[in-house]
Amino acid sequence: MELQDIFYNKVEYVETASGNKVSRQTVLCGSQNIVLSGKVIVQSDAIIRGDLANVRAGRHCIISKRAVIRPPFKKFSKGVAFFPLHMGDHVFVGENSVVNAAVVGSYVYIGKNCVIGRRCVLKDCCVIEDNTVLPPETVVPSFTRYASSPGVCIGELPECTQDLMLEFTRSYYQHFLPAK
Amino acid sequence: MSHILQSDVVRYACTCGSLKPLSRIYFCRHCLKIRCGYCVSHEVDSHYCANCLENLPSAEARLKKQRCASCFDCPSCLHTLSTKASTVVVPSSDEKTVTRKLYYLACGFCRWTSRDIGYPDQTVASGGWPEKENPHASRIYNLLEHFKTLALREKQEREKKKKFIPRRNIYHLSGLSAAMARKRAGLPSIGPSSLKDDVGGPAELIPSAATEEVEQLPEEIFTDTLNLLKVTTLKQRLAQPEFQPQTVDELYPAHKCLLIKRSQRCRSCEHNVSKPEYNPGSIKFKIQLSAHYHVPEIRIVTCEPLRAGEKSEMIIKICNPTQYQSSLQFSPLPSPEEEAEELSKEIEERKQKVDRKDEKTNREDVLLLLPSICRQVSITEDPRPVNVALTGDISLPPVTLVLPPRDDAAEYDDSGDTHNFQDDPKIVVWRKANKAAMKLVITPEEDISEGRDVIVGFVMHYTYINTMATQLLEQREPQKVNLKVKLYITVGKVVGK
Amino acid sequence: MASKDSVKIAPGAMVCNECELRGDITIGSMTVIHPRASIIAEAGPIIIGENNLIEEQSVIINRIPKGEQPTSTPVLIIGANNVFEVDCHSEAMKIGDNNILESKSFVGREVELTNGCIVGAGCKLTCPEVVPENTVIFGQQCTRRQQMDKPPPQTLQLDFLTRVLPNYHHLKKPFVKGKQ
Repeated sequence: MELQDIFYNKVEYVETASGNKVSRQTVLCGSQNIVLSGKVIVQSDAIIRGDLANVRAGRHCIISKRAVIRPPFKKFSKGVAFFPLHMGDHVFVGENSVVNAAVVGSYVYIGKNCVIGRRCVLKDCCVIEDNTVLPPETVVPSFTRYASSPGVCIGELPECTQDLMLEFTRSYYQHFLPAK
Repeated sequence: MSHILQSDVVRYACTCGSLKPLSRIYFCRHCLKIRCGYCVSHEVDSHYCANCLENLPSAEARLKKQRCASCFDCPSCLHTLSTKASTVVVPSSDEKTVTRKLYYLACGFCRWTSRDIGYPDQTVASGGWPEKENPHASRIYNLLEHFKTLALREKQEREKKKKFIPRRNIYHLSGLSAAMARKRAGLPSIGPSSLKDDVGGPAELIPSAATEEVEQLPEEIFTDTLNLLKVTTLKQRLAQPEFQPQTVDELYPAHKCLLIKRSQRCRSCEHNVSKPEYNPGSIKFKIQLSAHYHVPEIRIVTCEPLRAGEKSEMIIKICNPTQYQSSLQFSPLPSPEEEAEELSKEIEERKQKVDRKDEKTNREDVLLLLPSICRQVSITEDPRPVNVALTGDISLPPVTLVLPPRDDAAEYDDSGDTHNFQDDPKIVVWRKANKAAMKLVITPEEDISEGRDVIVGFVMHYTYINTMATQLLEQREPQKVNLKVKLYITVGKVVGK
Repeated sequence: MASKDSVKIAPGAMVCNECELRGDITIGSMTVIHPRASIIAEAGPIIIGENNLIEEQSVIINRIPKGEQPTSTPVLIIGANNVFEVDCHSEAMKIGDNNILESKSFVGREVELTNGCIVGAGCKLTCPEVVPENTVIFGQQCTRRQQMDKPPPQTLQLDFLTRVLPNYHHLKKPFVKGKQ
């Protein structure tokens, strides 16, 4: 199905020069450490914790309502630190999800109500279905589909997943229009 | 993700008769036909561990029984175990305390640790974990050996029957040959005949005997209170089929299973249709002939509510993914007789191809004996008619839709289309770069009940420019081919009047 | 009858300004409350001990039970060294020490958590019971396991947060006796 237009309240969203559309009702802590590469949509009530560590999102990412993007916590021999969180391009984070991962690759689809555990590594082109709980330090290889709690691989993705995610995020951005 | 993949809304009919969405089918450039997952043969390219993403060569994978050497699964929740370190202060011989790191396995999900079963903490970060020996290992090994020698014997007998070379050697008569000398000396004979003697071994294997005696239940089962926290669940038990422990303290971590990267090959022309890169972390492909890149894609944009017997408008979006201009036409599905004709033509073509292949090589015997080394013979199935009950009628406009080639730079260029296509504005409602939206009219059946799906079908004819390297060499011009594909669209559910 | 908003914050506690505190709440020292956390003392006061970590979107409610008229004001007591991860929801009246409520977990009103319990991500506890010590609850079916010892306290993380959070957030002033 072709995506339908999603209208947003023009007053609510700020559009930056690089095309990022960020809602004013989000909590962006430490915004100087948050890098949104361009054409990123951050919908209302999302929380991005840039104060704990650097957060970088690639192009055409979509962070849905009430999602929490939080860098993970790591104990070193010499102390503790929060790890920077890198998200690749064309990543879709569904509503209400909690992303504590260390690395999120490109072309990743994260469904609704997911919990991505601490220091998880999500490689490119993977899909995390709705309501999945990924335990800490899971590695999700490319072209796999994970579901349920604890997250297990339930299937494979077709080879053209990269293009599908690319088109999906691009058309989502194009259909995300201010209400007239 | 299913709403992206939409696997049951628009389906393409493959040559074998199965219906698949566009993302799941391939387009073979040599046969110029659509192939689905059933029409391609899958081959394992490489093995890799899901956790450490380390590549293992196939021989090593088989040796390690398709399991990773360094990663473990939690026996309690089947998640991957991680190695954690704890520092221990140990008094060393010099009367100085040395801090050493001791490693243990822990699960992040259910908090199981290797200390729960009494494994001592290891001094090395990886490896060094005790492996549990399979209690039935020796019996299985004997059985394997027995059947291996049996198989070898059978193979030799078959070879002997074929290659009967009469050995006529005058030395044989005079008694001076080396074989006769060995026999007289009492030494065991060497050469092809000697193997026959050694094969007397398997006869000594003691077969398992069935017995009717079953162990009696101990009396304590009825009187002792059961602590459910100490009993393993079926899932945990069956994850370790060799041991099947009954109590939680006997759950040992198992090595993690390997995943594979596979390449697909068209069964009729034996050319690769999809070949990923060797590296497990890479998402690129050496060969990627997904239909998504060669066959025009159709998507539903909107559809008016469907009512039985009444016309509703549907707008579909068509996208041309190729680098060349393509013209499309639509026609209704073929009648059953025409379809039967097409199928018989297909079967004929296929038979001719197989006969031609058989003439070239005669490799039956070799394949039957050594399947792991040689590739399997491709088993092709005869194409079948598509088995879908259509519940609606679709009106197809008789226009020829021309779609410009795909242009990646057009995304950044908002200046608008420079092409001027003469389109009937009532039929073609929208155009942008290589995409166009078309209006079609759907009429569900008169007697369809409410809530049932409306399924319509049609044939799409499209021109395809074949850019294969061999074609270019022969004809110096890319060849334009007219291809057609059957499409079945599940438009939606019928709403009451 | 709504209780007056009175929040007593012990010195050393870090309570971000953006969190929602309603009702009569006492927060012990060295406790860190992230922005967007909600602590709602509807039916009665909430007393939170020391060294707790309450992350964003988590909800701690002392709810008025439906249909019942409370005869006495129930007090919600939370011990020390507990961790409330992102988006967890707790209505339990009594929580001991060293517990961990993982992301998106739910603990109902009738449940009582003793010490060292871990309620896994996505697990929901609603039946009235007292969870024994050192229990781990995980998975889709809320399977249980007994752990050998309690989970380690998050002192290192708390230290790090007490150093970092003041740089990025406005914190509520602690209540010092004798000063108005």
